[in-house]
Amino acid sequence: MSKEQVEQRLTQLWESPKTLWGALATVDHKTLGKRYIATAITFLIIGGVEALMMRLQLAKPNQALLGPEMYDQIFTMHGTTMIWWYASPILSGFAVFLVPLMIGARDMAFPRLNAFTYWTYLLSGLLLYVGPCLGQAPHAGWFAYVPYTLRPYSPAHGTDFFNLALILLTISTTGGAINFIVTIMRLRAPGMSVNRMPLFLYSTLTTSWVTIFGLPPLTAANVFVELDRRWHTHFFDTAHGGNPLLWQHLFWMFGHPWVYIVFLPATGMLSMIIPTFARRPIVGYPYVAISTVLTGLVGFGVWVHHMFAVGMSHMTMSFFSAASMTISIFTAVQVFAWIATMWRGKPVLTSSMHFAVGSVALLIIGGLNGIFTAVIPVDWQVTDTYFVVSHLHYVLVGINMFPVFAAFYYWLPKMTGRMMHEALGKVSFWVMFVGFNFTFFPMHVLGIEGMPRRIYTYAPNLGWDWVNMMITIGAFTLALGILLSIINFFWSVKHGQVAGNNPWFADSMEWSIESPPKPYGSIHLPTIASRHPLWDEHDEEKDPNNQRILDQARLTFTTTWLDADYVALASIPEDTILPLLLALGMFVLLGALVYQLLWVVLGAGIFSLLITGIWLWPTSEGQIG
Amino acid sequence: MTPVFTDESTHIEHAPPPVQRIDDTRGTYGMLLFILTEAMLFVFMFFSYYYVEKGNERWRVEEPPKLHYALPQLGVLALACLLMWWGQKQAVQRKAFTARTMLIATIILGLGYLTLGYLDDLEHQLHVGPRTDAYGSIFYTITTVHAGHLILGILMCFWVLFLPRSKWEPVERPPHRPYYNVLLYWYFLAVVWAATVAILYIGPNVYNAL
Ligand code: HEM
Repeated sequence: MSKEQVEQRLTQLWESPKTLWGALATVDHKTLGKRYIATAITFLIIGGVEALMMRLQLAKPNQALLGPEMYDQIFTMHGTTMIWWYASPILSGFAVFLVPLMIGARDMAFPRLNAFTYWTYLLSGLLLYVGPCLGQAPHAGWFAYVPYTLRPYSPAHGTDFFNLALILLTISTTGGAINFIVTIMRLRAPGMSVNRMPLFLYSTLTTSWVTIFGLPPLTAANVFVELDRRWHTHFFDTAHGGNPLLWQHLFWMFGHPWVYIVFLPATGMLSMIIPTFARRPIVGYPYVAISTVLTGLVGFGVWVHHMFAVGMSHMTMSFFSAASMTISIFTAVQVFAWIATMWRGKPVLTSSMHFAVGSVALLIIGGLNGIFTAVIPVDWQVTDTYFVVSHLHYVLVGINMFPVFAAFYYWLPKMTGRMMHEALGKVSFWVMFVGFNFTFFPMHVLGIEGMPRRIYTYAPNLGWDWVNMMITIGAFTLALGILLSIINFFWSVKHGQVAGNNPWFADSMEWSIESPPKPYGSIHLPTIASRHPLWDEHDEEKDPNNQRILDQARLTFTTTWLDADYVALASIPEDTILPLLLALGMFVLLGALVYQLLWVVLGAGIFSLLITGIWLWPTSEGQIG
Repeated sequence: MTPVFTDESTHIEHAPPPVQRIDDTRGTYGMLLFILTEAMLFVFMFFSYYYVEKGNERWRVEEPPKLHYALPQLGVLALACLLMWWGQKQAVQRKAFTARTMLIATIILGLGYLTLGYLDDLEHQLHVGPRTDAYGSIFYTITTVHAGHLILGILMCFWVLFLPRSKWEPVERPPHRPYYNVLLYWYFLAVVWAATVAILYIGPNVYNAL
């Protein structure tokens, strides 16, 4: 067979039809990854608009743009949207797109599950926003403390939508975690032993394990609140022996590991990006890998300590600072590795590298003021003031948003086939960086001066006026910076330079194939003989006898988890609409629970079970997933 | 591309695929991870039970739950696991009839378990119901969530039962996967129930006796 024939055959096997049906039924990880990213960015924009509304309200004293109730709803929706529907899904999106390409597999271990987790993610976001659309947004803050979320204080349905949307989202996230673990442990290309894995895989793997263990308390907590709200149980009702603090405990047991969920994959991205642009392998690969894994493990240590030792009064504060404290050692290892890599290398300051270096800088500032706030007297002084708001944004934006933008500029050429505009990218970075610091640095000052968080307005002449105005201007600057990158994206998709396979001369496998990748990835499934497969050349990687084309069906290799020795062929399922149907079934089920429409709940439940049964029914080729 | 960097770990023995065998293990890994995360859900519910109980006078002191249904329920689940385990061995040896019979037996035992649970609830509800107080809420939530998982387990058994015969035959090697995966799930059900009996049933009785 000629090369063209092989390509044609593989395309036939792997391509989803370009119809509406094809779009709804696709299980292609590349399409799903891009959808994940686009959806998460949409949530970032929604959350960002909410943030700007708050800042407009607070720009001057005694403003009446948003009333107190409205303000409560907006900050709740902002925190919730950003934390759950932007910060971690965006990382999953990159991982869904990249992991199979990095390990040289043709798809995830469970492609249909992958589609299902995307659809549930999307639908859970819709479920969350049903409340606000009905004028009944939740208003108890993103950590939704009871008793404030119980019926007497929050009678509207917004809180129900919040709880049930979160339950749907945890299903999605857990499914995603299972998928990543099995994919990374079983589907790596022959030869990609654990000591040759790109660091992004370490962070995704660790995060996924953390998810498996760390998400159930959130589910439990949401179920309990919903039972109390709508089914008259008494988990949190002190009059009947309940305990409101139970929510706090369960919530932070989830919350602690969660910090690592939004943090680790982002560090993994930096560990891919910085060496590429420093033009040398990362310094201390094993130490970075080990500290990634240890961050996840130790995260649970803190969390156990949380159960027994931490008082309740300054829970919020200690959450973010304790998190920064514990990870500080392992983060330091990573930060030093990045700095050493740049030091020993010949850094090329692309826009991606700008964002990467910027986030290292923010990480250092965020880490430092984390240590600051872990000092108890300071802590008491600043608890529940704008100091906290500042600190949490330094941590979240520094460890999540800037690395994500670095990742955009780095990997978008792979996704779209076109380079982003470099100069505009750098302008966007500087506008964002300056805007960010103008927004959040002055908040330290406000905090020390005692301005409480979550207030909808303040009196004049408290000395807060000009600082608040400055913060608002900063926030709009930051938003402008983000907008510039979005414009850059739309411009470059049309007019950008054609990227080619490996525009950055990077070392990992996703760069070995066309940009954008063909539906089947690479023609010859790779074998890996080095930690930097594209920087080192090996005869073993060649496939003269076409033994690794695998064009009999949708196939990819499975290998052993440690040495990645060849084990068998994994059969990858065809496109199917079932994941979407199942997601819709669960969406209807949870939506009906809000209004306690029991017959609808029952119907949707049976429908979902039926769909699951059909989904799992084995095909003649032994397709799984 | 010309090599830019060298790496000491360059030697490989990863020859191209020798035999073309279809992988059937991913489902098992998926099931194990699913079990793990569901188990964590129960761990946190048990934590909640202890947490709410802390400093709660009314707790346990009156009428601790009786053991005369809970323990037989545990026995029923243990027996179900044993039968399924054996059935799975039969499936591997292609004795489909015995294997299927064991599945049916498991389903019946599962229904028996649910019946016993229902009777237990009827009796226990005379003293405390899910809406009586926090204790009742958490007690019934744990047992109901477990029962929900058990119903799922029964449905899984049905699913394997109706798999066409050709899917029963282990294509390459034992253990036979779908059967095996469902067996794992039943182990999980039994272990969680054992923990539930220890924590929700035996614990309060021992406490009362002391
Ligand atoms: C885009 C620029 C952003 C601006 C201007 C902004 C602004 C704000 C402001 C003013 C508040 C304080 C509300 C109050 O306490 O009265 C706030 C709260 C919060 N923000 Fe942001 N934010 C931004 C981005 C983000 C991002 C990217 C995340 C997470 C990844 C995030 C997570 C949060 C959280 C969790 C809260 C606390 C909400 C609560 O009190 O329940 N923000 N934000």
